[in-house]
Amino acid sequence: MPEIPAVSRRLLLGGALATGALAAGVGTAQAAPVMQAGAVPAPMPRRRPGQKSMIDVPYESHGTVRVGVIGLGNRGSGMTEGWSVVPGCTVTAVCDIRADRARRTADRLVATGKPRPAEYGGSDESFAQMLERDDIDLVYIATPWEFHYPQGKAAMLAGKHVIVELPIATEIDELWDLVDTSERTRRHLMLAENCSYGRNELAMLKMAHEGLFGDITNGHGGYLHDLRELLFSDTYYTDAWRRLWHTRSTASFYAMHGLAPVAAAMDINRGDRMAVLRATATEPKGLADYRERFMPRSHPSWKETYVNGDLVTCLIDTAKGRVIRAEHDVSSPRPYSRINSLAGSRGIFEDYAGVMSTSGGRIYVEPDHGGHSWRAFDAYRKEFDHWLWRKIGDDAANNGGHGGMDYVLQWRTVQLMRAGLVPDIDVYDSAAWCSPVPLSVKSLAAGGRPVEIPDFTRGSWVNLRMGLDSRASEMPPVA
Amino acid sequence: MRSARVITLLRATAAAGAVLLVPMPAVAAGPQPASAAAKTEVSISPVDLQGPAISAVKVTVRNAGPDRMRSLKVSFAGPVGWAVQPAERSVNDALATGQAVQTEFRIQVPEQRPGFTVRTFTAAVTYKGGDGAGSATGTLSQATGEPVANLKAAYNSVAITDESNTAPGDYDGEGNSFSAQKLAAVGLTRGASVSALGAKLTWPDVPSGTEDNVSSAGQAVALSGQGSRLVFLGSGIGSAATGSATVYYKDGTSTRGSFGFPNWSFDPADAHGATLVASSDGRNRPSGYGNAGIAYRVFAHSIPLDAAKPVDFVVLPSNGGIHVFDMAVAP
Repeated sequence: MPEIPAVSRRLLLGGALATGALAAGVGTAQAAPVMQAGAVPAPMPRRRPGQKSMIDVPYESHGTVRVGVIGLGNRGSGMTEGWSVVPGCTVTAVCDIRADRARRTADRLVATGKPRPAEYGGSDESFAQMLERDDIDLVYIATPWEFHYPQGKAAMLAGKHVIVELPIATEIDELWDLVDTSERTRRHLMLAENCSYGRNELAMLKMAHEGLFGDITNGHGGYLHDLRELLFSDTYYTDAWRRLWHTRSTASFYAMHGLAPVAAAMDINRGDRMAVLRATATEPKGLADYRERFMPRSHPSWKETYVNGDLVTCLIDTAKGRVIRAEHDVSSPRPYSRINSLAGSRGIFEDYAGVMSTSGGRIYVEPDHGGHSWRAFDAYRKEFDHWLWRKIGDDAANNGGHGGMDYVLQWRTVQLMRAGLVPDIDVYDSAAWCSPVPLSVKSLAAGGRPVEIPDFTRGSWVNLRMGLDSRASEMPPVA
Repeated sequence: MRSARVITLLRATAAAGAVLLVPMPAVAAGPQPASAAAKTEVSISPVDLQGPAISAVKVTVRNAGPDRMRSLKVSFAGPVGWAVQPAERSVNDALATGQAVQTEFRIQVPEQRPGFTVRTFTAAVTYKGGDGAGSATGTLSQATGEPVANLKAAYNSVAITDESNTAPGDYDGEGNSFSAQKLAAVGLTRGASVSALGAKLTWPDVPSGTEDNVSSAGQAVALSGQGSRLVFLGSGIGSAATGSATVYYKDGTSTRGSFGFPNWSFDPADAHGATLVASSDGRNRPSGYGNAGIAYRVFAHSIPLDAAKPVDFVVLPSNGGIHVFDMAVAP
């Protein structure tokens, strides 16, 4: 191949192998990656013989999608009812370490006219018994974070497709293992990234693809949610599991809700990739301050020391030279925001802009706007409304939590499985979006030093392909 | 390979999604050889615009020069923001005179937008030998939909309000507008005839406080007439209200011209080569009439036309600072 610009050997091989020469005697050149001198490298394990990519692999068609649920706390129980109302979907089994939760969830489904699911519970191994069933096509996991990786892997090994709440895993080797397990078992695993199906987020994505922002240069997202009251609740998070993470990790735990929509708009793993991350963190003040003011001295939290910074910020460079800022703050007093901002050579979008529009967003794009003043996002959201919201937006508003995003995620996942289509979000997206969890720890431990982000696609990121900006299609009719 | 010397536009008559193909000839850049009769030809295959999709595109390069073409590199680009894979392709083998090579690219195509849209794709090549020029480009423009029927159908801004109700106005993005009373004082009443730069134009014939002008954003507007110039009536917001308009003729060819308007106040009246048409005293602000003693103005400007051809439609500049009240062909 002649005259290929200097790129790393790994990226060069990946691009060449993935792209292929489309005409004899013709070579290709890809954008040079952003690899910073001194960045902590990210090893890429080899595939086993016979192991193949899951990119663009469709689901096998399912007449009915049969869901098994692991984890029936606040999130899991609500989502279980969501699965049960999607056309062509039925919940066949439910599981929680606390057996009474499984029974109550089953009772609720029956009360709404749904078939009674099988119940599993009583131990931390109950989920394994549920996975032995042969009437489960999709396992939905909503347990505490530390269980996501082993349960997700076990579900794939049991022959099930998997959808996992954030994050799919908390260590780099675990993320790689989930990618490899997906490729070996030919089962899909996806992050239950509901915010990627948000109405504003999808409109932002479509506007980016239209070119309204010009060449995309940067984006900001995150998860800024004052969870202090819930974190110190004795009932909301079982055994205070989420607060305890703040005692043992410095990670950006949960920035994916803001990171993923920006990554989608930048076509991460579909022509670009997140290449380098560096993290900063403020001092952990918020939880201790809240405890001082509101928690009695007898509360078990007084034995805890918090190490997770109130604001953990990850700066991510992409291979094409874009920059993403992903923030995480759940321990400071503040209004809710996922930021959702995207900017390029011709304009900018910002979400959570307050009261200037019913959509909540504001925009400034040339040539439509001038005068350095923001405009309401409403008209643009209407023009670039994603077909999923046009089609099922009313159903989502009636059935789903989080403004309908949950229902759109569930409806679309079931549709993809029933129609035998390629997932919008695959294991590579899920691993990439979750990689800041361990990599922020790594960078912070090294004083903010840049660390390479693994290429979970093993070179296939250079290929353009479809994702969340999908073509409209129908839900197969229910027999 | 089309060899048309000008843009050729084939108007779509089928249902939405029909493609208008506008092939352009290769345009050689850089120093020309002494004998430039045969130039490198660069052509682009039609792009499937039924998005969202990843579409394949073929770029064909033909060596029409007298020498072997070597070190050929081909790049391809679509509208801004559309991802292309790969960034560039290199051709190993030399091309003999008359020989062509085809390279393939993939492009991310967004969902089709309603209304009239022109998408322009460009292939650029560099090489040694061949015709000796060293580089060449080929351009393909494809259009979907139909232009809006007239300028009124494209109105998207409220420039004129009554002094008794200034709230609907937002000519400048800050809620300000012309005073209907003060415009009337200088002859600009609803539906009034305006003669400027040889053209007969019409002041917006709509009630005060309703959309009455176009903030220019690349809209395609049908227009009839034949003459030497296309005259625009309007004014600018900001001091950079300039841009290029493209005029398409009934025979499918096009010409392009640049024009600009001064800011509706403060800029010199002849900025960007414009001609002052009228000055009104003061303006309407969200709180009511004000700024008395300051002139708020309307201008005319024009671009040349191919006088031998009847006009079909006009694509306005992509600059929201240009506000247009009317446009007409001057003899």
